[in-house]
Amino acid sequence: MDIDLAQLREMHTRLPADLALVMVGRAALALERNNHASGVGVSLNLEGVVSIGLLSWPGAELSKIDQHDHNRITEDGAEAVALALAHRHRAWRVVRRMQREECADWLLEDAGEGRRQVVALEVSGVDRGSIVARLAEKLAQVAKSTDVDQRWASVVGFEEPAAALHSAKRKKRGN
Amino acid sequence: METDTLNSLVSGAIWRAEQLEAHGIGSASQAWSEVSSLEEELAKMLPAPESEGRIARRGAVRAALKAGDYARAHALAESYAAEGAAPESLKAGLHKILEEDARAMKRRFRYAAKHHSLREARDLARRFREAGAFGLAA
Repeated sequence: MDIDLAQLREMHTRLPADLALVMVGRAALALERNNHASGVGVSLNLEGVVSIGLLSWPGAELSKIDQHDHNRITEDGAEAVALALAHRHRAWRVVRRMQREECADWLLEDAGEGRRQVVALEVSGVDRGSIVARLAEKLAQVAKSTDVDQRWASVVGFEEPAAALHSAKRKKRGN
Repeated sequence: METDTLNSLVSGAIWRAEQLEAHGIGSASQAWSEVSSLEEELAKMLPAPESEGRIARRGAVRAALKAGDYARAHALAESYAAEGAAPESLKAGLHKILEEDARAMKRRFRYAAKHHSLREARDLARRFREAGAFGLAA
């Protein structure tokens, strides 16, 4: 699977342009500060199926990295990768951002076969180390989200590029 | 305004408010006011029986609380709970948001909570917001 962050806005037309630009810029910084170059291999774990993808992004200005908060680079960068992955893997599109008390970062729509479904997606980034423990945490968090049809979590690692997208497998609606 | 446009605007507004809050910048409360207004507009377009309508209603109330506008939060919660089509889960959710906020307020101001009710504290906060520190003396 090829994931090109330059196409994030085309994938998610409701994502504000300035927000997409910042998220992609921070993803580029998160990857390049870990000495990766665009076109790097990324280890993907999609619902338990492991594969290798190709991750590309527009070049970052590493000289300006000090203007950004270290943690925001990781978190916002992870959101860019996770949203692009969700679109490439499931053809989901952003509906809106959620407030953190909704237990998810994004509300997406699955307009595939049959009835339109809404999907809660919780995202997190890991600058150094494994993404496994964080994924378990985020799945537990998004499982509490109400008023959605599906609950998913995605964690992105930048040291050795890796991304996971998993369902929390709770199907009930909250009404 | 179309729902898609409002969804884009609310996404940007929430993101900005979160960034300001993370940096401890005082204008975060104004950013949350903007979020509350946009969520309210979304709530007008999306009926309560729809999941996105319920998310917008909870969002309008929560963002008003984050902006420190308790009167608005309570007024919105009351009006949403009174909607004929409001499901019980929404009414319970709105009640829980206000209860949690009240508990958090009591925890933050333990000493004041021993001497004043939450209603009195919020009334003082409202007067302070409207008239400034000298207005309280009037």
